[in-house]
Amino acid sequence: MNTTGIPLRDPAVSAAAGDTEQLERAYIDASTRVPVLMFYTSAIAWLVLGTVLAMVVSFKLHSPDLFGGVSFLTWGRLRPAHMNMMVYGWASMAGMGTAVWLMARLCRTTLRFPLLLAAGGAFWNLGVLIGVGAILLGDSTGFQWLEFPRYVAVILFVAYTLMASWAVLMFRHRRGDQIYITQWFLLGAFLWFPWLYAAGQLMLFVVPVQGVLQSAVTWWYANNLLFLWFGAIALGAAYYMIPKVIGRPVYSYHLAIIGFWTYALFSSWTGMTRMVDGPFPAWMITASIAATILTMIPVATIGLNHHLTMQGYFPLMRYSPTLRFTVFGAMSYTVFSVIGVLISLRSVASYVNFTQVSIGYSHLGLYAFFTMTIFGSMYYIVPRLVGREWRYGSLIKLHFWSAAYGIGLMTLMLLAGGFLQGANMENPALPFSESIETVMPYLRGRSIAGILLTISNFIFAYHFGLMLLGLGRTSTVPTFLNPVEAETSGGH
Amino acid sequence: MKGLAPLFIGIFGTFAFSWVGLTVIPTWQIGSLNPQSDEEGTDIYPRPQSGMFQRGAHVYAANGCVYCHSQQVRADYIADDIERKWGDRRSAPRDYIFQRPVFLGKMRMGQDLANIGARAPAPEESPSPAGGASPSGAPATQGAGASPAAAPAASPSSGSSPATASAASPVTSPANAASPNASPPPGQRTGVASPSPGQMANTTPGGSSPAAPSAQTPGAPWPIQTAGLPPMYSAAWHHVHLYAPRSINPDSNMPAYRFLYEKRRIAGERSAEALQLSGGDAPPEGWEVVPTYDAKCVVAYLMGLNQSHPLKEVRSVGGAPAAAPSPAPAAQGASPAPAAGASPAAPKK
Repeated sequence: MNTTGIPLRDPAVSAAAGDTEQLERAYIDASTRVPVLMFYTSAIAWLVLGTVLAMVVSFKLHSPDLFGGVSFLTWGRLRPAHMNMMVYGWASMAGMGTAVWLMARLCRTTLRFPLLLAAGGAFWNLGVLIGVGAILLGDSTGFQWLEFPRYVAVILFVAYTLMASWAVLMFRHRRGDQIYITQWFLLGAFLWFPWLYAAGQLMLFVVPVQGVLQSAVTWWYANNLLFLWFGAIALGAAYYMIPKVIGRPVYSYHLAIIGFWTYALFSSWTGMTRMVDGPFPAWMITASIAATILTMIPVATIGLNHHLTMQGYFPLMRYSPTLRFTVFGAMSYTVFSVIGVLISLRSVASYVNFTQVSIGYSHLGLYAFFTMTIFGSMYYIVPRLVGREWRYGSLIKLHFWSAAYGIGLMTLMLLAGGFLQGANMENPALPFSESIETVMPYLRGRSIAGILLTISNFIFAYHFGLMLLGLGRTSTVPTFLNPVEAETSGGH
Repeated sequence: MKGLAPLFIGIFGTFAFSWVGLTVIPTWQIGSLNPQSDEEGTDIYPRPQSGMFQRGAHVYAANGCVYCHSQQVRADYIADDIERKWGDRRSAPRDYIFQRPVFLGKMRMGQDLANIGARAPAPEESPSPAGGASPSGAPATQGAGASPAAAPAASPSSGSSPATASAASPVTSPANAASPNASPPPGQRTGVASPSPGQMANTTPGGSSPAAPSAQTPGAPWPIQTAGLPPMYSAAWHHVHLYAPRSINPDSNMPAYRFLYEKRRIAGERSAEALQLSGGDAPPEGWEVVPTYDAKCVVAYLMGLNQSHPLKEVRSVGGAPAAAPSPAPAAQGASPAPAAGASPAAPKK
């Protein structure tokens, strides 16, 4: 395998590519260099921290006396701390970095005021840091996915405005009439997130809704964050990376458009499937289940589109880390959605609603789909920002396989264990504790999967650190002008 | 450029559609429910919660109890929650109108807590350091109302020596006799108030016979009453359970919330609030473990979780729950000894 592993072909313009186009791209990449690298660095720092917490959380679930008795190390605080670190620290930062870079590329415009963007990133990090600290010190709001206290929400919102407004502004200054499908998804994500976040905060804290509606708002928020924020960014990235790497246009643009609109329309309605048979008017839950079933339309169109684009090019996954991670993520999107439909059906949900299946589902969405896709994008983007290629192909391979086996094993354990847990819970002949004892071996298995994921994330962080320090390889095939200084320090 | 307006309108439109559909319309539909009451305007349910309950809810949030415990009972034709004795009826939006934050929960690594307060043994209205809580609060209409009183009230029975407990027992029965409220809780109360056996069950360490009846409850989600521990789901029991979950159920994977308790040297005589611990969890000689105010609040919160009151919009299983306890005193009157042992299970229904 080519050690650089980076796709060296530059398809869309390869025939007509003049120096000017390459130069232009180099300029664009250079303009995004500081903020995107800053977003990526902080995202990966959060990823590593969140992974460590995840291990502790996972072990504590079956060994509850581990680090017992310390208030900020109690399971019920570590779990939301881990979750929020991953959601707001890792995934949001990595997603925004990717989205900003993609937006600049696709709008063919340089990023204005990159330092303001970096300042926004710093604020965001501050918000996540304070928020995680607040959770550990016992100041969680108690709303799942929205545990950060109100004062943190303000910081995050200001930070977000600093970051996203420039991305949207880029869209205004874009060159060329064509709007690529990725831009649709990214624009959607950038506009959906603030509304979503503001609506969640307003309806829970500023003018709080009554009783169970708080839960309805929470899960509406959680699922929309998953789909309209993370999902939209990941799908946008996949729509860019796959055609880019294999050097072939998207199979059908019409399919892509159908996929986008049905995705926006249906996935935004799925929140209540987390509360099937809960104390809500039945129509809310039924509407969400129907919407979840209808998400099969975007799944089918997007999946089919990627598949037909990739047709005949699957062997390239052997060489390109970007392609390999991205295709894994895109396939996981299908799996994630199909499982989402299955567990939302009333007959199934009555078994699995209160089990580890929901944890498995969330990890499938956030790790197998989103994180793997973003890893793919990072493998593409980072070399273009630092002017070096990834140093070790073997590390990338190790990263991929430990991540793939890790998340695969974790999903398997949580889904299988969760189904058994639910089956025993719904069997009143058995004592309740039986359902817990049933799932325990699977939770230990999940901890093993967690070790694999820890390895994978640490490898990636180490590799990224090498890139950041300029220890990557100097590119063997100069597809681009390096956006950074042309020093030759490679090869040690 | 031409496609831009539809793109923006579509992005906002799809989102607004879901926002209106899943949050605004429901708010309009069930966003301002009132408590229900009977024709005379009495028997109001639910009632606003006490300050301790509110603070307890924040302790509950802070320590992430919601990540393992749900607080919603599903209908009997959907799931087995009711058969598991987690409630007499499904939960309804009206049950939660005074709860903020609301903890419906999404996980059952532990039991459902929607009715944990209803499972408590009848509150003992003994003269006790019950704090500011009025013992005769509103127990008749809602168990939740009585919870803050119950929390501190029940603890002395565990903390104190058998002698004190039995000394308190004569006081208990007059208190109950005096209380004129003639709805479910008094029914339960008479069960426990049957003077000395009730106390014996609490205090006699070797009292295996009382444990037997509750153990036989088929499919009951809760563990068997362990000898030597406070009666299940009493405030004292909750404190022991929070402090040392595995002293009650060795297989429990619940974290121990020791940081909510204070271990201190006994000054003078042992505090009435001190936890009744045994084995490896017990503090060394001359020391005692007492709950902090946060611990008392979270127990008051747990004791206040009670959806046993019937709701007009929801069918209760097994007829009107108001009628359910009435046979119980009769049965208990017939055979006092098992009745005492059944006290953990009896107040359930």
